[in-house]
Amino acid sequence: MSTLTDSRKRELRRELESIVGPGAVLSDPDELMVYESDGLTLFRALADFVVFPTSAQHVSAVVKLANRENLPFVARGAGTGLSGGCLPTEGGIVVSMMRMNRVLEVDYDNQIAVVEPGLVNLHLSWKVGPRGYYYAPDPSSQQACTIGGNIANNSGGPHTLKYGVTTNHVLGLEVVMPDGEIVWLGGKTREACGYDLAGVFVGSEGTFGIATRIVVRILRKPQAVKTVLAVFDAIDQASAAVSAIIARGLVPAAMEMIDQLTIQAVEDAFSCGYPRDADAALLIELDGLAVGMDVQAERIVEACRESGAREVRTARSEAERQLLWKGRKSAFGAYGRVSPAYMVMDGVIPRTKLPYVLRRVNEIVAASGLRVGNVFHAGDGNLHPNILYDPRKPGEEARVVAAGAEIMKVCADVGGSISGEHGIGLEKADFMPLIFSVADLALMQRLKSAFNPRGLCNPGKVFPTKKSCVEVGPVAYRPHAIEEKGLAQRF
Amino acid sequence: MPDALLQKLRTTVGAANVLTGVELSPYVVEGRTPEAAVFPGSIEEVAAVMVLASEVGSPVAPWGGGTAASVGMPAGRAGLVVVLSRLGRLLDHEPGDLTATVEAGMTVETFQAALGRRGQWLSLDPPDADRATVGGVLATNACGPRRHLYGTARDLLIGVTVVTADGSVVKGGGKVVKNVAGYDLPKLFIGSYGTLGVIVEATVKLRPLPEQEELVRVRFDRLKDAGAAVRAVAASDLIPNAVELLDGAAAVGAGLAAGSPPGGVLVVGFDGVREQVDWQRAELARLTGPLGGRDVRPLEAAAWSRLTPAARTAFPTPAATMALAVLPSQVAETMEQGAGIARGRGLSSAWAAHAGVGVVRGALASDPAPKDPAALAAVLAEWRELARAGGGHANLEWAPLAVKSQIAVWDDPGAAGRIMERIKAQLDPRNILNPGRFVAGI
Ligand SMILES: Cc1cc2nc3c(=O)[nH]c(=O)nc-3n(C[C@H](O)[C@H](O)[C@H](O)COP(=O)(O)OP(=O)(O)OC[C@H]3O[C@@H](n4cnc5c(N)ncnc54)[C@H](O)[C@@H]3O)c2cc1C
Repeated sequence: MSTLTDSRKRELRRELESIVGPGAVLSDPDELMVYESDGLTLFRALADFVVFPTSAQHVSAVVKLANRENLPFVARGAGTGLSGGCLPTEGGIVVSMMRMNRVLEVDYDNQIAVVEPGLVNLHLSWKVGPRGYYYAPDPSSQQACTIGGNIANNSGGPHTLKYGVTTNHVLGLEVVMPDGEIVWLGGKTREACGYDLAGVFVGSEGTFGIATRIVVRILRKPQAVKTVLAVFDAIDQASAAVSAIIARGLVPAAMEMIDQLTIQAVEDAFSCGYPRDADAALLIELDGLAVGMDVQAERIVEACRESGAREVRTARSEAERQLLWKGRKSAFGAYGRVSPAYMVMDGVIPRTKLPYVLRRVNEIVAASGLRVGNVFHAGDGNLHPNILYDPRKPGEEARVVAAGAEIMKVCADVGGSISGEHGIGLEKADFMPLIFSVADLALMQRLKSAFNPRGLCNPGKVFPTKKSCVEVGPVAYRPHAIEEKGLAQRF
Repeated sequence: MPDALLQKLRTTVGAANVLTGVELSPYVVEGRTPEAAVFPGSIEEVAAVMVLASEVGSPVAPWGGGTAASVGMPAGRAGLVVVLSRLGRLLDHEPGDLTATVEAGMTVETFQAALGRRGQWLSLDPPDADRATVGGVLATNACGPRRHLYGTARDLLIGVTVVTADGSVVKGGGKVVKNVAGYDLPKLFIGSYGTLGVIVEATVKLRPLPEQEELVRVRFDRLKDAGAAVRAVAASDLIPNAVELLDGAAAVGAGLAAGSPPGGVLVVGFDGVREQVDWQRAELARLTGPLGGRDVRPLEAAAWSRLTPAARTAFPTPAATMALAVLPSQVAETMEQGAGIARGRGLSSAWAAHAGVGVVRGALASDPAPKDPAALAAVLAEWRELARAGGGHANLEWAPLAVKSQIAVWDDPGAAGRIMERIKAQLDPRNILNPGRFVAGI
């Protein structure tokens, strides 16, 4: 929604170029289109400019210009977000962080790395891997998404069950504040000085400023890994196994569930050797010390058997382990083969409510005349129901959105949350009242005012609002570019 | 305090739950007596008390077990102490979910005991667990040796209910272990020292109790070598749950080394199944031997709780203690240089650190009697510079007011201080919650 005249736009473009350089500003609508949505293609909004800074000073100067012109601005990483978080809902400037993608420093003694926000998540693990280290948060989009996007959304992944989400791995950030000031929040040491502003910034979905440097922890790779696939005739048994494992005092590194529709889709598409007639499978991974690993694996097998597993396989080699993960990881590609489109939900529930909620999810989707595949982080109760549909059929998309809303309500009703890792962004902003009171939201607004008093930094996100001019539909799911390239799956 | 306000407080929480006059002695901090102490019995009562206090602009000091009451600057004006002891119930513990919700006034020890009966625990081990409350531990971000593996409150608190200065009851986070909906309010309140709101309820992540746990001690002739051992442990395959470094004075004081004080003592904790603990103990001996480590020996379980306060307890009445946040690789050097600075001014000191995470504590002896607060403040200022030189910072944990008036309790948060001030102004515009106690004059 541009409010700028053409001539003003030309002037501002020149000024932006004088800040970030001539090859680093886009303002031609054809080029801007590439930046009109993120991984959730349901929403689109066009910016006036996209800029590609290469330093905090660039970002600061751009932000100051935006303030002077009263233009909104929003940081953008790889654009793999699934809640519309990086959309320029009110026009203005998209600040792409993709040219700030260096690893600035690795301190192995202290197990920290200082990176720029545009660094692709997996590239950090590549960098430190040869020395036996890795960066733990592992969103499935890690081949494409950036660490800046990860900190904004506080992203998770399969192994966050044991290792925690992004916030547990961030020590400090250099941030360009919404008024252009460059400030450090936290640092390299483990203790905050004053309020834990780094902790508050992580998960603020780009509304508290633009991170320009990030201090993260890197971990030693575990000595040993063990992966188990348990197959069940009833999904309730698989849910029970999750509880049984926890009841035995075990905390696996990952515990992922795959339901029947998904197993069949995977088998149709890729033949990973999962039994087609199984109602559900659990993929469980243990890691840590080599000694004691077998004892723990036996207990997992036992817990699965006692919960009714008809078969439990343990990977005997790295190749077998990769094969077991392949079924899990190719799930989303497989949906693409059995359905023209799907929409992924991201609710969280207490683990003990899994059987009930999975039943409700299936009922809700069935009542909409649609199908759903579940493949998700069972260990921490983070559901990802994927509703399959055909966007060409009139009305189907609206039914998907309505079913999604009902599923969020079920999650809220059992004491859960409406987002476990994808963020609220635009998509779920209007559902915030399901889990937060007016007073809760008012306090969050005040916190936002402390960081972003003029509201120019990523407006229209997180809080329920009417005032955005985003286009919704009619086009819904399109595979994200990185999915098309086979680089990632939509977990 | 106007009688009318006292009357309203009595009506709100019941006359028996408002203390005044001589009854206030347990709540005297640095010689300053509050005007009244109130004991609300519900969240609604906390909210009503906050409304009353904010109407008249009376300062409010939230009070858990009082174990950290003297940390920071005392309020410039006397006001209300709001004691949370009547909010002491365990509201919910679902072992299958590995979560529990507890009222803020329950002591950590009582909470752990209840969780332990069902095979779980909150993986946080702050000192004074018998008196420290869950709310107080969160507000001061207190923790202990096991933070090495299990992190601090920021890694465990998944939901929080707070009463803000205007009496609003506000929730942040939720009850599930993974949740990105809304801003991370739990992080905001952790370590905020009661300056942003009164924490009344908390939901935390739990862990299964480990099958085995063991604390292992290794003696070194030189602290420097113990420091090298800390680095060797970090670079190894070991997965310790604690890595502590103590100088001779602290180790002797904590009863971790008998006979002549060693140069340094490394204490490492392990948990897991039996084989894992055994293997790790042996591996620790193998790693530290070549570095000068000897006398590798398991300690009794009671030693755990003596580690965090080990610097302070090295002296019968320390003159001051400071906590320095540095990079883990700088811990041993910081301890040695810090001791050198004190010696240079004729003072003895004791040092202990959560070495694996770079949190170092130094205590100054009051014997030989320090001449004047300025001399103490000068040493502390140099310690702070030491931390800052390595990119860290340092806060006074305890010192007499005479010293605190010569050196800032809290380190300077730099430009971020302005954001902190804005947050404070947004959440507590009348500045009634622990005014002046915290960083940047907040
Ligand atoms: C196929 C697929 C699989 C996925 N799997 C997972 C998964 O397993 N787990 C998971 O958690 N998510 C997953 N996602 C969602 C997405 O990848 C994550 O949210 C990711 O963190 C977004 O990173 P990005 O660089 O693409 O950020 P973008 O989408 O570009 O932006 C996301 C948010 O970050 C903000 N932002 C970006 N850079 C900065 C910065 N420097 N400073 C401040 N704010 C900034 C933006 O303003 C926006 O609000 C998946 C997405 C796809 C398409």
